[in-house]
Amino acid sequence: MSSIVAYHRPNSLGEAVELLAQSGRSILAGGTAIVPEARSRRADGVELIDLQALQLDGISETEGRLTLGAMVRLGDLATDDRAGELINDLARRELPSAMRNQATVGGTVASASPDSVLIAGLLVHDAQVEFHDGRTSSLSRVLSDGTNGAIIVAVSIDPTGSGSIVATGRTPADLPIVAAVARSTDGGPRLAITGASATVVEVDPSEPTAGLEPPSDFRGSSGYRLELADTLSQRVLKAVS
Amino acid sequence: MMEISILLNGTQTATSVEPHETLLIVLRRLGLVSVRFGSDTGETGSSAVLVDGRLVNTDVMLAAQVDGHEVTTVEAFNTPDLDPIQTSFMVTGAIQSGYSTPAMILGTRALIDRNPDPSEADVRDMLSGILDRETGYVKPVEAIMRAAAVMRGDQTEPFEPAILEPMTDGSNPVDVDPSDQPPDVSYAVPRVVPSPDVPEMSVVGKPEIKVDAVRLVKGNPAFVDDFEDRNLLTAKVLRSPHAHANILDIDDSKARALPGVHAVLHYKNTPRVKYASGGQSYPNPHPHDQVSFDDKVRHVGDRVAAVAADTAEIAEEAIRLIEVTYEPLPAIFDERDALLPGAPVIHDEPDTEEIFDRERNIVHHIGANRGDVDRALAGADHVFEHTFRVHQVQPTPIEPHISVAWLDADERMVVRTATQVPFHTRRMLAPLIGRAVKDVRIIKPRIGGGFGAKQEMLIEDIAAHLAIATRRPVKLELTREEEFVSSRTRHPQTLTFKTGVNSDGMLVAQDLYVIGNTGPYGSHAYTVQTVTGLRGLSSYNCPNKRFNCDVVYTNIPVAGAYRGYGAPQAEFALEAHMEDIAHQLGLDPIEFKRRNWVKLGDELDIAPHLGERAVAEDELDEYPRVSSCGVEECMAQASRAIRWHRHADPAWRQPADRPNIRRGIGFAFCMHGTAIPFLDMGGCSMKLNDDGSFNMLIGATDLGTGADTVIGQIAAEVLGVKLDDIKVYSSDTDITPFDTGAYASSTTFISGTAAKVAAEAIRARIKERAAKMLGVDEPCTIELRDNTAWTADGRSVSLEDIALDSLHLEDQEQIMGTGSYVSPDCPPPFGAQFAEIEIDIETGQITVVKLVMAVDCGVAINPMTASGQVEGGMTQALGYAHCEEYAFDADGRMVNAELGPYKIYRADEMPELEVYLVQTMEDSGPFGAKAVAEIPKDGVAPAIRNAILNATGVAINDLPFTPERVWQALRADS
Repeated sequence: MSSIVAYHRPNSLGEAVELLAQSGRSILAGGTAIVPEARSRRADGVELIDLQALQLDGISETEGRLTLGAMVRLGDLATDDRAGELINDLARRELPSAMRNQATVGGTVASASPDSVLIAGLLVHDAQVEFHDGRTSSLSRVLSDGTNGAIIVAVSIDPTGSGSIVATGRTPADLPIVAAVARSTDGGPRLAITGASATVVEVDPSEPTAGLEPPSDFRGSSGYRLELADTLSQRVLKAVS
Repeated sequence: MMEISILLNGTQTATSVEPHETLLIVLRRLGLVSVRFGSDTGETGSSAVLVDGRLVNTDVMLAAQVDGHEVTTVEAFNTPDLDPIQTSFMVTGAIQSGYSTPAMILGTRALIDRNPDPSEADVRDMLSGILDRETGYVKPVEAIMRAAAVMRGDQTEPFEPAILEPMTDGSNPVDVDPSDQPPDVSYAVPRVVPSPDVPEMSVVGKPEIKVDAVRLVKGNPAFVDDFEDRNLLTAKVLRSPHAHANILDIDDSKARALPGVHAVLHYKNTPRVKYASGGQSYPNPHPHDQVSFDDKVRHVGDRVAAVAADTAEIAEEAIRLIEVTYEPLPAIFDERDALLPGAPVIHDEPDTEEIFDRERNIVHHIGANRGDVDRALAGADHVFEHTFRVHQVQPTPIEPHISVAWLDADERMVVRTATQVPFHTRRMLAPLIGRAVKDVRIIKPRIGGGFGAKQEMLIEDIAAHLAIATRRPVKLELTREEEFVSSRTRHPQTLTFKTGVNSDGMLVAQDLYVIGNTGPYGSHAYTVQTVTGLRGLSSYNCPNKRFNCDVVYTNIPVAGAYRGYGAPQAEFALEAHMEDIAHQLGLDPIEFKRRNWVKLGDELDIAPHLGERAVAEDELDEYPRVSSCGVEECMAQASRAIRWHRHADPAWRQPADRPNIRRGIGFAFCMHGTAIPFLDMGGCSMKLNDDGSFNMLIGATDLGTGADTVIGQIAAEVLGVKLDDIKVYSSDTDITPFDTGAYASSTTFISGTAAKVAAEAIRARIKERAAKMLGVDEPCTIELRDNTAWTADGRSVSLEDIALDSLHLEDQEQIMGTGSYVSPDCPPPFGAQFAEIEIDIETGQITVVKLVMAVDCGVAINPMTASGQVEGGMTQALGYAHCEEYAFDADGRMVNAELGPYKIYRADEMPELEVYLVQTMEDSGPFGAKAVAEIPKDGVAPAIRNAILNATGVAINDLPFTPERVWQALRADS
């Protein structure tokens, strides 16, 4: 009858993997998304595996890349100087304060929300997702293919370069209808767009809207979102040029 | 079950929890009632606590997650002395309902622990996680900054109103010098422009701390859900998935068979008693088109059945087990479609009477007339016609609707409920449950905001039916989604104004036609739409006026009361219409409006012809007139504050360094009403206690507005005592006198006057007693001040001695007084509303930079609570104008029934809010007071609309101004 029928808090990654191997189990990171979702789910009870004891909440620098543990809270990411101003800003924009103190980097990536400005920021920072089995995959691939049942343990990014976000929303702190996030690199700008596809996508800065087929909803029609994607891309590229 | 151990408020605590239980559920079970439900998805922040020193939302955190952690709630500060944070919230007026105040206090603690010197941006960022529907965030931000300063040891000044120099003589306009600067004080400080007509007073006009402040900052039990009820059952409601359908059958056998289920109610086993749910005076306007459970559903979210069970989980499971056979029917959603030939008939049942035109879904036709509009329009030099569409929004009190019902020891029905109308609820509930009014008792504790949504007998009948069926206490609390789909909303409307103007810029005729959309039930349909007519046709003098309105049934969620009633719709259309007329005539909009707006002594010429006490033109001897008006002082103060001169500067409107940005400033003239004359009534009783203090019982319903405080101040002023000497209790239908309730901007004016009458009665008896004790022949020469009765020659006796004498020593008596009041007057408050915006012409995004409102509310009894009302009201109005909107799929299902997708403003994105309280002396009000609660809802939408017009030259006549709507309008124009 209950929506969440068991709670597990493994003390090792191996134990977590073992628990996850059984059906009807899901990962619990911060809980801001999965707790309400699971509680509102009818009849099909779920068991949650809380990763808080696995010491995945560290941020470390290695060979020019910054590794964000999957359980790093967005509130911490928003204030960590090593992540850079853009990632700080996007972590803050992602959620309001109390939710930000709870939500995690891994949970944000796993949610693959098409509206996530933080995911856009991670994309343009060349994010690589590290899994429990040692595999590493680009964030773009994870967004398109999913995690396939693997546990995200970290996300590494290239923290260099400056970046910017340009967004359109109903209000200044609204979840953007469309946002364009760009970062300057030695090889030219990198650009990602939210709200214009089934997931956040990194696009070719020279043709930012090529192939985009935005969904429509009450906040913006497909055609409007496509116009926004084009306009905001031009602006953000100008800002980082 | 699993065991968890937490360091809870400094004490290691072990408790058993279910895996699915949130921390919110478990903390409340442990008695920590300061942690409050606002949503299931974390957006409201009312449930926030500190976990390991961080602010987190307990509604999206499992209790199991905090096993081994430290949890802090505001009860941790429950010492006899108040924490500096709590004190700062009290003295700055940062508390209205107080429902989310504990979360704000905890967030402040965490913020200051991390950063003892936070910036305003830091404070607003912390508050971004706690939605506030009441304050506009202005005073909470001030409270937190002040608390940080106190905790750093900085010197702080007393938090008092800024008294400003008047800029006008009180009646004539002035030209504001562009170099003249507004006062340099914090926005949170009430800015009061005094009137020479107002005498100096001791308690009235002072920023007294709210009488319920301590209980609210400490998170003490205060709200419906904060009290223990033995053997409490939990109720859940099965709601319709269809917008319009007949129910062919219900099979509840599986639900009834579920262990832990105690009752399942629906149309087959519940008496069919017709009623109208709107909380209004007797007799409730027809049609009475609802029953507790019907065999037809008329909107997605309509009631189908209800369950009472041992736990919420069992009740939810039982709901899922009820098998309903529906026959879906065609549905209509737009009010214009409801009138079309062939539209489905929404109320085809034979037992609903007095529907105006059942076949066309017209529930009411409302008309009012003065003069000959057709002839005047035909003779006018210019005729202008514009049509406007306004949308559906929700009050969204952070505390959802909640009721607990039980049979008391005498088997009377008692309902503790979040209501604005306890006495109406008692009268309306009694027949539905087959009981006499005398056998029903309604208790209203503190309420976590209402704004009209709780001016409704919305769920009390369900809880009561279930309590009778089970003979156990039953709690029904709506989820946030239910609050959206089954509570009450602002009426969408299509409004068409047609106005005749002569070449001298004077109005000669105004014709207003409105199609109002009430959803599937009448509720407040008649009265809201009459207010639309009233407000749409009252602001400007015009010899010929006509109002026609068709209120129609549709299959959207039910419309009802929402702060402002029908006025925001009307004022949006009116102020936009007048703006466009001015532009088309080549006149300055303010000068055109000023030429026509009502002034001191002018007739209020449409008011008597509309509403529950309407009279025809030929039945009226004399029209009421404006008896106080401070609008020119409002204009001067507000136009200086907004720096109105910039609106005419092309270089400012089009900043050279931001090619995609245009700027604009818009204005709206505001005029509202104060109570419903000859209808709204409130009562008060008072008694003198041994120590010279007083108990005051009032039926008035403080929703967080500060009504208890303001009414207490009025009585304290009469009796010459401190506010703390008046112990205010409201409201309980068994104990307190009658009051129509908290609506129609009536409480200060009506209930306050009732308190003044009661206090004057008790004062008279105190004077008699004092005269006898002091050997004075003329009691009328006695004065009460400083808790003492004084003779003209300076002798005195304390109220305490008078009380002891009267209660214990000689000619013993209980000194007490009662009073009630109904007013023949409805003095209008006035206001000047300005908005400054920026618009991105490539994306359509509007950024509201600043809102300024100067309000003539007569004498603000408490400038702290009054300015808080304006700040909060403007913020709600900002949402109405800018971002709040019900969205539906093609089948009438709301697709954004969640805060976030349904966007309300948070602290870190607010425009600047600047408020002025312009005093006038309104002789019909208590100590000069008029209303203040609703007028801030009226002008924001048209001011923003007119600012867009100023910025771009594009007039947008549909709300809200969301980016794509604005973008489309700009594209259409280009």
